[in-house]
Amino acid sequence: MIALEDVSARVGDFTLESITFQVPQGAYGIVIGPTGAGKTTLVEAIAGLVPITRGRLVLGGEDLTHAPPERRRLSIVYQHAYLFPHLTVRENVAYGSIGSRVVVEMLERFGLAEVAGRNVRVLSGGERQLVAVARALARRPEVLLLDEPFAALDPRRRVSVRRELRTIYFERRFTVLQVTHDFHEAGLLGDLGVVLDRGRMLQAGKPEEIFRRPASPVVADFLGAENVFAGVAQPIRDDAPDWLPGADPEDVEHAVAFTTGGITLYALGHVIPGTAHAVIRADDVSLSRVPSSSSVRNQFRGTVVELAPAGAITRVTVDVSGISLVAAVTTRSVRELEIAPGTEVFAAFKATSVHLC
Amino acid sequence: MLEPLARPPRSRDAILSVAAALAASLFLLFLVAPLVGLVGSGGSRGLRALASDPELRASLMLTVGTATLATALGILGATPVAYALARGRFRGRALVSALIDLPLLIPHPVAGIALLLVLGQRTAFGVALGALGLRIVGSVTGIVCAMLFVSAPLYVSAAREAFDRVDPRFEGVARTLGDSRWRAIRRVTLPLAWRGLLAAAIVMWARAVSEFGAIVILVYHPRVASVLSYERFTAYGLREALPVAAVLVLLALVPLVALRALRGDERLPSRRR
Repeated sequence: MIALEDVSARVGDFTLESITFQVPQGAYGIVIGPTGAGKTTLVEAIAGLVPITRGRLVLGGEDLTHAPPERRRLSIVYQHAYLFPHLTVRENVAYGSIGSRVVVEMLERFGLAEVAGRNVRVLSGGERQLVAVARALARRPEVLLLDEPFAALDPRRRVSVRRELRTIYFERRFTVLQVTHDFHEAGLLGDLGVVLDRGRMLQAGKPEEIFRRPASPVVADFLGAENVFAGVAQPIRDDAPDWLPGADPEDVEHAVAFTTGGITLYALGHVIPGTAHAVIRADDVSLSRVPSSSSVRNQFRGTVVELAPAGAITRVTVDVSGISLVAAVTTRSVRELEIAPGTEVFAAFKATSVHLC
Repeated sequence: MLEPLARPPRSRDAILSVAAALAASLFLLFLVAPLVGLVGSGGSRGLRALASDPELRASLMLTVGTATLATALGILGATPVAYALARGRFRGRALVSALIDLPLLIPHPVAGIALLLVLGQRTAFGVALGALGLRIVGSVTGIVCAMLFVSAPLYVSAAREAFDRVDPRFEGVARTLGDSRWRAIRRVTLPLAWRGLLAAAIVMWARAVSEFGAIVILVYHPRVASVLSYERFTAYGLREALPVAAVLVLLALVPLVALRALRGDERLPSRRR
């Protein structure tokens, strides 16, 4: 278990401030944020390599805020491996290992047995990263810290290393905290997501929740939500089925009319009347050539402006009364519906797909 | 009417190249000619004198021995300082760094006078050392002190660079793998920095061997090689000083070759890439 309570740390001019989150025992936490967000400082503070200036760090139930790194029962894997260049592959894996049997097991599991006697200087980038992961796991850590460990790998190698690491993780169930800037990876791996920017924590929660309901336009923008609109939100009080008489409008989720540019969206939320942002993920927007008669509350006629195919998915930008709405649809659908720039389409999304923040 | 043509830039470049090559050649000639002349005039006599001149032999032995001892003491005392300056982020680091470099910038007889003020027989420190049976002025210990004072800053500077070249994250990873700070330094940092530390020690040793100004103030007897060459020059003239001076130049080639070998070795892996 990793628990941070109001943790602050400082490296040079950079300050990490008031970070609070908890990764339960055996869970997989993901720290996500742009370059310079403080992700590496955060994992190094947890590892004890950067001193914590304020707050409390609990690892495995023990307060280790000021304990030296060697007492924290954790391992760290950096993007650039940091293999000891004066040692062989086997010596690197054995460096902090709990025994020679584990070293042999790790060398075999990561396909390193054949290069075990080689100096690490002659390895390829992918092999180096495998050695770094094997070295970290040979210690049998209770907590594994991963600082963009797959970023330097080619896509094929990335998938195989990630798969092997996941297999060992499911076998042993140690606690993991991984730093990444890859949204796909975050969604794929994490039980818990933490969004950092400029040394501050913007949001923490289930990755799916963060993606669907970003706490602020900054988080939404960073997480790659294509449709983020500024506008005015107003609860729809006169709509009997949506309004609970006597309830405090700040306490209950109710129907909201969100006006941006020339259109009004139908949304649900706790929003206080006034200016707000609406976030709609492109995956939640569907397109048709004729108006559909479904339960979908939001349906707008628009003109296709741009197609951006990326394999099986095509991002279609539709101009709706001067607002650019992006829909992610299958390339096959684009072909079947004969969608092209200039085509008139109907863009639709549910009220529950509109997240107000 | 035709406009005069501007001089083509290529010919201007050629003139500048010739001027730069001429300046560089003159500079190299200025550096090398005196040493080549010295070894050419006195080299063979110097090597013969090694067999026939017991005073020169004793002086060289003393020089090499004291320089080696001073270097060993420097490594012991200055390595932690260099490490602290490379890794530490403490207040006053710049001041400590400047103070360590100071002996490099002052004239060496001045360094000798400064040492005399602290270690002289009538100073408190000198009296205390005397009570322990240690004498600085006019003793081998004094030679070691003078050599250490003027050459250790070179070691600190080069050793600090050697530590700077080792990314602290190597040490960090070692610590997360269970090493204490000292164990991580011993198992990771020192093995990665050893080449730079050895080069630093060689530079320090070479500087100690060539020291004259500070030694001559503290210790005239017994005579190290630099003091012997000076004494022979002032007492007997150039002809008698030449063999000693030539042997000192040849001795300086030893660390120079060692340094070149170290650097050449360092470059080998990058050639393979």
